[in-house]
Amino acid sequence: MKITHLGRRALLFFSSLLFAIYVLAPIGWLVSSSFQSEAEITSVPPHWIPHQPTFENFATIFTAKDKVVTYENRKEGDTATGGFIPSTAKNLLPSMWNSLIVAVSVVILNLLVSVPAAYALAKIRFIGRDSSIYFMLTTRVIPDIALVVPFFLFVQQLGLLDSLLSLIITYLAITVPFSTFILTGYFESLPDDLDKAARVDGCSRLQTLLLVYLPLALPSLVAVVLFTFLTSWNEFLLALMFTQTLASQTMPIVVASFTSDFNISFSFINAAGVLAIVPPVVVAIMFERYIVSGLTAGAVKG
Amino acid sequence: MARIKFEGVGKHYPNGFVALENLNLDIADKEFLVLLGPSGCGKSTTLNMIAGLEDVTEGNLFFDNEVMNTVPPHKRDVAMVFQSYALYPNKTVYENIAFGLRMRKHPADEVDRRVRDAARRLEIVPLLERRPDQLSGGQRQRVALGRAMVRQPSVFLMDEPLSNLDATLRISMRAEIKQLHQAMQTTFVYVTHDQAEALTLADRIVVMRSGVVQQIGKPDDIYERPRNMFVASFLGNPPINFMDGTLALENGRLAFKRGQTALTLPASVAERLAGQAGRAVVLGIRAEDVASYGGASDGDCLQGRTLAVLPVGSDQFLEIEIEGTPMFFRVGKEGQHKAGDNVTLKVNLNRLHLFDKQDSQSLIW
Repeated sequence: MKITHLGRRALLFFSSLLFAIYVLAPIGWLVSSSFQSEAEITSVPPHWIPHQPTFENFATIFTAKDKVVTYENRKEGDTATGGFIPSTAKNLLPSMWNSLIVAVSVVILNLLVSVPAAYALAKIRFIGRDSSIYFMLTTRVIPDIALVVPFFLFVQQLGLLDSLLSLIITYLAITVPFSTFILTGYFESLPDDLDKAARVDGCSRLQTLLLVYLPLALPSLVAVVLFTFLTSWNEFLLALMFTQTLASQTMPIVVASFTSDFNISFSFINAAGVLAIVPPVVVAIMFERYIVSGLTAGAVKG
Repeated sequence: MARIKFEGVGKHYPNGFVALENLNLDIADKEFLVLLGPSGCGKSTTLNMIAGLEDVTEGNLFFDNEVMNTVPPHKRDVAMVFQSYALYPNKTVYENIAFGLRMRKHPADEVDRRVRDAARRLEIVPLLERRPDQLSGGQRQRVALGRAMVRQPSVFLMDEPLSNLDATLRISMRAEIKQLHQAMQTTFVYVTHDQAEALTLADRIVVMRSGVVQQIGKPDDIYERPRNMFVASFLGNPPINFMDGTLALENGRLAFKRGQTALTLPASVAERLAGQAGRAVVLGIRAEDVASYGGASDGDCLQGRTLAVLPVGSDQFLEIEIEGTPMFFRVGKEGQHKAGDNVTLKVNLNRLHLFDKQDSQSLIW
């Protein structure tokens, strides 16, 4: 009995360990290689821990705007030693800023739309309620690639090509249905009597939502914020279609452009990758403590 | 001050379901009215309509002389206690009680005074800083009462407030609610499916079934003079006994007859049903309206075989098979009864109930 118990725990532990390694190894390699020179990064066998750690890659990113790389001077820096930088390197920081603006706007606007929508779907009975929930979900079944052309035509007609607004609008179209669906499920799990009690206590519908439901819905709100932020931050396909210049290019586009240059510097790309991870990680850490369960315990007799 | 009036009020859903049908009801100011019925009878719908939580789809609902049909809950002067208590889980007891007052913009010092007053009355002062999940069911119930009380509303609504409590607590809370009503001097509307609660608390009871009012009256009226078989069977513990039979003339007097059993009807009833001998009727006898008896029947006795004897402390319940129908009676515990014995029970004829076999309406009241 005790042996099988121990065995099961060991099995669980090693399975979790295996899974953690599977998930974390690429990130570990990314971080490690961002501190390596191009020569070290390509050495065989690879160094998991840099033998000669260097901040050169990061330094290059932050000073890139001073250098102009052309066909003629492309070999000034030797790719083998990591001195090479892509011609679009200076775009990295501005594009990161673009990404941040888009992601934050999408998060805020998304909440403004999906929270009231979810409350209405969860707590107000109206004709077509169920079908609207399913209809919203079906929009998520359609692959993005199928929407690219219609989206492009819309954006073009609106004169929003190469504008951050085009990304904000289309990302909202992608994320709002899913956020609404998550929140609807959560609001539905909160007792109806709470809604009634609040309204008898003197809350309008909006006040009930803001003062009673939102504080209780924090865990799911956090989930929605993370989902929306990451979706917008990582989105590539639509950004590739709608953006043309630095006025609207987001980080994934610029990082991808590093691979289509005269030469490819993996150490530089990996340093950019590390920077790309930072904002989502910060957001996750910021909201992590709000993901607590059991907030509703005691609402009704358990 | 509030007098509540329902005028032909109904609740019809788009899918055709009727939750409430043509309700006409006048609730007096300061009255304690109980809506009684099985689940799905429309009692909670009625209560929610008073609160403004459900739309009135037919007829009019008045507070005093004002039509309230479309007034939202936060603009009505009502407070409500829920079966689930519905306390705000993220707020302390204090905040829970104060919330309604804050929403209605009472000054802070008054809010504090009223919350502490209510807490003192309900003896929950030590709990004020706790959260609902740290309270027992009875304590939560008190907080829910406090939350409604501090508002000093003109209408106090209660939706099965005691159903989630254990039996002992339920009885003591019943008494407290009654005191609360006397102290607050406001209109109470109370929903329950528990006949004992209804009988103890109510000034008047409204018995409902499938969205239709069956009878409105004082507790005694409802119990002693049920208008139909449903009302008769819904109140009483153990429930009333029914027996099919016919009206017949026995020695020149009108009597209920089935097989060997004949019960002479009292003169007043016989007069009302004169000339109806042969009519199919249903007899109703409440469990307590009999007594053990040794003598011979004179048109006032039931005879049968005891199936079971169930002592309940103060007295005993007998299950007796009479004319093929098992019936429950309550008799004093002095009588010696054994399962299998034949027994004779003397019936209090003045307390018999007779119902029409077809429409189950009372033939007496």
